[in-house]
Amino acid sequence: MLVDSLALLRLLQLASPALPVGAYSYSEGLETLADTGKVHDSNSLQHWVVQELQYGAVRLEAAVMLRTYDAASTQDYPTLQKWNNWLSAAKETAELRQQSWQMGGSLLRLLQEIQPLQVLDCPSPCNFAIAFGLAAASWQVDREATLLGYLHSWATNLITAGIKLIPLGQTAGQQLLLDLHGNLTEAASEITLLQDEELTSCGWGLALASMAHETQYTRLFRS
Amino acid sequence: MTYKADPQRWDGCLSLGFAHHNNTTHCILYQVQAPLKVQRPFYPEGTAVCHSVILHTAGGMVGGDRLNINLQLKAQAQALVTTAAAGKVYCSKGTVAEQTIAVQVAAGAYLEWLPQETIVFNGAMYQQELRVELETGAMWMGWDITRFGRTARGEKFLAGIWRSHTEVWQQGQPLWIDRQFLKGGTAMLDSPHGLAGQPVVGTLVWIGPVAPELIAKARALWTATNRQGEAGVTTLPQGLLCRYRGPASREVRNWFIEVWNLLRLSCLERSACPPRVWQ
Repeated sequence: MLVDSLALLRLLQLASPALPVGAYSYSEGLETLADTGKVHDSNSLQHWVVQELQYGAVRLEAAVMLRTYDAASTQDYPTLQKWNNWLSAAKETAELRQQSWQMGGSLLRLLQEIQPLQVLDCPSPCNFAIAFGLAAASWQVDREATLLGYLHSWATNLITAGIKLIPLGQTAGQQLLLDLHGNLTEAASEITLLQDEELTSCGWGLALASMAHETQYTRLFRS
Repeated sequence: MTYKADPQRWDGCLSLGFAHHNNTTHCILYQVQAPLKVQRPFYPEGTAVCHSVILHTAGGMVGGDRLNINLQLKAQAQALVTTAAAGKVYCSKGTVAEQTIAVQVAAGAYLEWLPQETIVFNGAMYQQELRVELETGAMWMGWDITRFGRTARGEKFLAGIWRSHTEVWQQGQPLWIDRQFLKGGTAMLDSPHGLAGQPVVGTLVWIGPVAPELIAKARALWTATNRQGEAGVTTLPQGLLCRYRGPASREVRNWFIEVWNLLRLSCLERSACPPRVWQ
C-alpha cells in the first residue's frame, strides 16, 4: 500500500494537525452542536463523526479529493478546475465554503513556498480537498494512503474541536480516534468505489448546525 | 396516453414555454402527456407574471413511473409554476419512481418553481433531478418540501430510498449543487445528523441579487414567530439558501412564503402572490 518511506513521510506531513492551514480554528458546526447539547460527550461526538463518514458531506469532499489526485497525476487541469467549481457549489453554507477556500489557499501558498508545484494554473479560490489532492499527487503519495490520510486529518480535527468544546480529556479523544479506525477504513473503501452519479450525502444536520453557527453569539471557532 | 413496456407504469411529459411581449408573459409552448396536465395559464397579479398549475391526474407515482417536466423562459419572461396538490410517491415493489425537471431561463427572465409538498410513503423509492440553466441576468427561485411517511397515520419512512439532486448552472459554471439522499430506517431518521426524528424537510434556493441585509431579514422572519422545527439561512455566492427540518409542512411553507415575499419586494418591487390552489 505505502510504496516507500519517502511517500509515507510526505503524507504524515500533509495530514499532520501541525500543517499550518488553520484547521484548528474550524469546528464544522460542532460548536453549535455542543452549545445546544446535541453533542455532549464522547459517545455523541463519535455518533456524529461516524454518521458523517457514512452519509455526510465529508464523503463528497474525499471523493472529489481523489478525482483531483487523478487529474493532477495526469496534468488534466481542466478536470481539476471543474471539480473545484463543483465543490464550491456543493458547499452547505457560506462558513463551510469560506473554511475550505481559506484552508485550500493556505495549503497552496505553503506548498509554493516549500516545494513549488509543477502546476501552472492553480484554481482560485481553491478548496482544501482540491489542494490536498494536488499536493499528494505532486508528492507521489499512494492514492489509497492519501484518502486515509485525508479522512484521518479531518477526523482528528473534529475530535480536537470536540475536546475543547464538550470538553473531553485528551485520553478520551485519543480513545475515540483509535475506535474510529474501522470506520475510517470502511468509509475509504466505499469512497474509492463511488461513481460520479453516486456523489450524494445527507446534509440536514450539518447544514442546520453550520447555518446556526453563522449567528451564534459567542464563538471560539470560525465554522 | 403513452405506456412503457409495463402498462402499469406512467411515462408523463410536460413542456411549458414562456415569452415576453408588450409587458405580458405569454405561454408559447404547451405540450402534455398523461398523467400530467396543466391548467390554462392565468394572471392573478397582472400580465407581467404568468401563473401555471400542474396536475398529476393519477394521484401519485409508483415504482417505475417517470415524469419529465421542461420549463423554458425566453428573455424577460416571468412565470410562476406550482402543483395543484401534494405529490405522492407510493411504496415500491423494487423499482424507482423518477421525476426529472429541466429548466432554462434566458437573460432578464425569472422563474418561480414552487411545487406543493411531496409525501414519500414508507417503502417508496424516489429519485428527483432538477437541473436549472440560467443565462446571465436570469433569476430563479425554487423550493422543495418533502414529508417522509404518512405521519398523520403514524407512518415512518423505515424502508425505501429518496434522492433529490438539484443543480443550478450559469454559462457552464455550477452555482448551486445539492445532492441529497436518505435511506429509510432509524439510522438516518432519528440521528441529529439526519432528520433528528422529524418527518419534514424543506429547501428554498434563490439565485439572484442579494442585498446583505436580506439574510438577516430572512432569519428574523423565522424567529419572529414561535416555531416547532429548526431552520437556517445562508448566502450562496450568487443567492440565498434556506433549510428546514421539522414536524409540519405548513410551518415551512408559511416561512418560505414570507421569505419569497421578502425577496420579491427587495428584487422585483412586488409582493408575493400565493396561488389559490395552496389554500
